[in-house]
Amino acid sequence: MADWDGRGLPPVAAERMARFARSGLRTSLLTVPGAAGVQTVGLDPVGEVMGCIVEHIGWSGFGGCGYVSGITGPGGIGLGGFSGFGLGGPTVTSSGSRGFVGFGPYVDALFHGYGTALRRMMEEAAAMEADGVVGVQLSVSHLGNNNREFVASGTAVRARSQYRPGRVFTTDLAGQDVAKLLQAGWVPCAVVYGISVAVRHDDWATQRQASWGAGNTEVSGYTELVWHVRADARHSFQQRVRAAGAEGAIVSSMGLHVSEIEPSEGHRDHVAEASVFGTALVRFHRDSTAPTRSLTILPVR
Amino acid sequence: MTADPTALGIPEDAMRRLAEMRPGQATSLFTSDLSVNEFLLVREAGFRPLGLVLGSSVYHVGFQFGRWSSNQELTTLSQAMYHARELAMTRMETEADQLGADGIVGVRLDIEFKEFGSDLAEFIAVGTAVSADEPQTPDGQPWRNNQGQPFTSDLSGQDFWTLIQAGYAPLGMVMGTCVYHVAHQRFWQAMGNIGQNVELPQFTEALYDARELAMSRMQAEAERLAAEGIVGVQLLSMGHRWGGHTTEFFAIGTAVRPLRADHVIAKPQLVLPLTDR
Repeated sequence: MADWDGRGLPPVAAERMARFARSGLRTSLLTVPGAAGVQTVGLDPVGEVMGCIVEHIGWSGFGGCGYVSGITGPGGIGLGGFSGFGLGGPTVTSSGSRGFVGFGPYVDALFHGYGTALRRMMEEAAAMEADGVVGVQLSVSHLGNNNREFVASGTAVRARSQYRPGRVFTTDLAGQDVAKLLQAGWVPCAVVYGISVAVRHDDWATQRQASWGAGNTEVSGYTELVWHVRADARHSFQQRVRAAGAEGAIVSSMGLHVSEIEPSEGHRDHVAEASVFGTALVRFHRDSTAPTRSLTILPVR
Repeated sequence: MTADPTALGIPEDAMRRLAEMRPGQATSLFTSDLSVNEFLLVREAGFRPLGLVLGSSVYHVGFQFGRWSSNQELTTLSQAMYHARELAMTRMETEADQLGADGIVGVRLDIEFKEFGSDLAEFIAVGTAVSADEPQTPDGQPWRNNQGQPFTSDLSGQDFWTLIQAGYAPLGMVMGTCVYHVAHQRFWQAMGNIGQNVELPQFTEALYDARELAMSRMQAEAERLAAEGIVGVQLLSMGHRWGGHTTEFFAIGTAVRPLRADHVIAKPQLVLPLTDR
């Protein structure tokens, strides 16, 4: 088997595309209502498409001010140093000016993973002369040794139209939802995501507030940590929606995971990872109001 | 949705719009946490989503022992649940206020106990800030409530649409909570019940008391908003991590006021779905 240089599609995928072009067989990951839905708005399913990348994340950035005490564990987080200590603010987010300190390279690696999987999926769709991919599912699996596989899969559709979009559109919405949006004058343009990781030094006040005898109190340090990391992920999500030239976005999922690290003996810091996934939309109707109509229907069941 | 798609320019116009897109151009931007159905219905109800808004608080919930054999409210815990939710809600409202919103729809209020601390919980409120197309309600009042805050509602987009159609406006989410310790049975009492089918009046009374406290607190909040009623009330009992005899009774709903005198909605058509669900 010829070595592949990582550009374009892997040889087997390229071969599958060629086979697809010859046979004319149509495949789809859509449910029956989904397939019926996209067809009512003039999008015909062409074929199921997939893109994936296996990535080694061996370098996540310094966990603190100049201390490097290790590489990431399977959870991606296992770095040390007195995080955020004396850095102008106790919470360090990956996108800040000190991103190098706050897991910036780790977050870049995640963006690269999702981005590459999506791009390869879109390349397959383009090879099928499709205009878009609906029902995109993104997944990540940990393969051990700091290796992760990012997979994007969906169903390529082609519009019954004389215009072709400049770039294959992608959406994580189901076929029915895509149909409803188009009926109402909105078209999905891209799957968008924002990710951020932040680390916060457990200072004395935080330790005191979180201790057993503290009584009812907000733990302001942790609140600040989750607040910053979510704000940062939402901000990067918005930036990407804007960069895509879209007018809005529908968020499909928001995640937050907090874990403890022990940078030095007997001392714990907290690391939070936040993500926002969704679909960016543009409006194509010239009038100010989109022509939505809902019928009051009561299902009998 | 039975209109002819080609008459609406689908998918022709949509594809042309995508072809014309210039990445990076300045656009007015919104984000929303709503599903597609909800998004479209909220638009049709005359509201424009402005952005996803969120408030959060990581809270250390204090400690309080209930006396082994007595029914009592654990006020320290009740206060903690109130205070932390209040913090999360207020922060969410502040975000919406900054966006110039008239209200927040589809609010979810969640509690997540954290793995990294025994009594730590994150209280989080997420919703979508909206602004009304009409600056005033049909009866000439502002959409914001009498506290000058954007209205909040935990109703789904579908319920929100129906509510507006029926001539009601949401005022705010109202809640009441009560953390209650249910007494253990005394030994002889438990022995006396062996092999018998009997009511345990002490337990019944405890659950009644606790729910009553939670609901009356919710009602008091609605009265403060000068509401006509509360819709979509959920009455939850949550054990959290306090063991079998300590439970939080939590009542939450959306306070509403009428927009007009009649509350008639279009007569629904009956359909027989071909799907099972």
